[in-house]
Amino acid sequence: MNRQEIEAKVRDVLAKKLGIEPGNISGDSRLAEDLGIDSFGAVELMFEIEEAFGLKIPDSDIMGVRSVNDIVGYLEGWLDEQSKSLNPR
Amino acid sequence: MNRRRVVVTGLGVAACNGVGVQDFWRANVEGRSGITPIDAFDVTDLASKIGGQVRGFVPGSYMPDDIAKRVDRFVHFGLACADMALKDSGLRPEAEDPDRVGVIMGSGLGGLMFHEEQMVAAFDRGAHRINPAAVAKISPNAVASHIAIRYGFKGPNMVISTACASGAHAIGEAFRKVQYGDADICFTGGVEAPLTQFNFGAYCALRVLSKNNERPAAASRPFEIGRDGFVMSEGGAVLVLEERERALRRGAAVLAELTGYASNSGAHHMVMPESEGSDAARVMKAALRDAGLQRVDYINAHATSTRANDAAETKAIKAVFAEEARKIPISSTKSMIGHAIGAAGAIEAVVCVKALQDQIVPPTINLDVPDPACDLDYVPRESRRTKLEHVMSNSFGFGNCNVALIFSRES
Repeated sequence: MNRQEIEAKVRDVLAKKLGIEPGNISGDSRLAEDLGIDSFGAVELMFEIEEAFGLKIPDSDIMGVRSVNDIVGYLEGWLDEQSKSLNPR
Repeated sequence: MNRRRVVVTGLGVAACNGVGVQDFWRANVEGRSGITPIDAFDVTDLASKIGGQVRGFVPGSYMPDDIAKRVDRFVHFGLACADMALKDSGLRPEAEDPDRVGVIMGSGLGGLMFHEEQMVAAFDRGAHRINPAAVAKISPNAVASHIAIRYGFKGPNMVISTACASGAHAIGEAFRKVQYGDADICFTGGVEAPLTQFNFGAYCALRVLSKNNERPAAASRPFEIGRDGFVMSEGGAVLVLEERERALRRGAAVLAELTGYASNSGAHHMVMPESEGSDAARVMKAALRDAGLQRVDYINAHATSTRANDAAETKAIKAVFAEEARKIPISSTKSMIGHAIGAAGAIEAVVCVKALQDQIVPPTINLDVPDPACDLDYVPRESRRTKLEHVMSNSFGFGNCNVALIFSRES
């Protein structure tokens, strides 16, 4: 899964959660300021991301997430780790 | 302290034989059952396979989709009925002093549907897979909180849980809040969404549900010789209670006056009524005293269609009204809609208000051959037009939590 695909999937999760079009969400969208997600909403969002991608995000990693790009970057790093451990060189 | 008079100025209801006051009331007057085979979950392994599902109910018609998505089905019923009752009352939330508007609701079971789903997730996939929304969706008080959040009502807010009497208790306590000036308006009633695999199975295990699976519409047979248990249903109702003077000042349509309330306990058993019905008799007498009345013109009985309840309630009515008991029409809403647990008392309160308005007693359907132990006038099969000034509604919850409410024609 490349970065674009990850971002598309994250935008889909967000769009479904917020009841808006994925087109209204960009990588730069900030969760609180632009999308109106409060701290409880952020916890719910990360749960939905976990369900969609099939991973468990430690609470300590959620703290730094402020924007869609932050989420995509985190997932990109995680998937990269996964592929390394699955395909040892 | 002087008690203020309290009137009903709005109604909302969602039941298995009708959603919205008009459809629901017409179904009751016409004696239409809402009981069908259950398809909400898998009943293969269960002895009872019938219930009262509220079909064609679209939560999104009564609340924004984002709210509908965030709450359990029992809150769907609460928000939908509050929306209907608000419109019926003609109140504008923004024009009211928010601190003077309360919300007091009843629910026996809370957010069971989501609770069960999350229990399965936790046991199948690990406790770390529990949805962060679980606490907020499952809490029984979510229904009163969501109504308050939606309209900004900042007065007294609570949920009362007394099994099958929850809705009636809520209305009674809301009545007191307005009588004694703790609020001027109260949105009150009861909701329940009990048709889930675990909960329904638990009631099956208790052997209290009808097994008349072949004839769903005929399964709830209060006072009838062949009755074999109650039929479980879902739904809700909300009443707007308002201090009478302010309701008249604002030109509200006054639907009825709430004039009497009492509650007590049989202190007897968790799931059995006291067989002589003495606790039920005491609560009816106390409600009459509260209303300053000697008799009523109609009793909407608790009448669950269990062998124990209907006989004990009949004895209680005789103990309270003596010879007069034979002259009072009595009927069972549960004959048509089954038993909606914490919503039942509130749905039956709607029936009482409509009966007073239209001067019609809805029937007890399926009453073909009365049990000899049940020998009063239960208005069998067809509704009856009669003069109604005061009507009583009984609700008796598991654990012997008893309530009687009295509604009177607006005068």
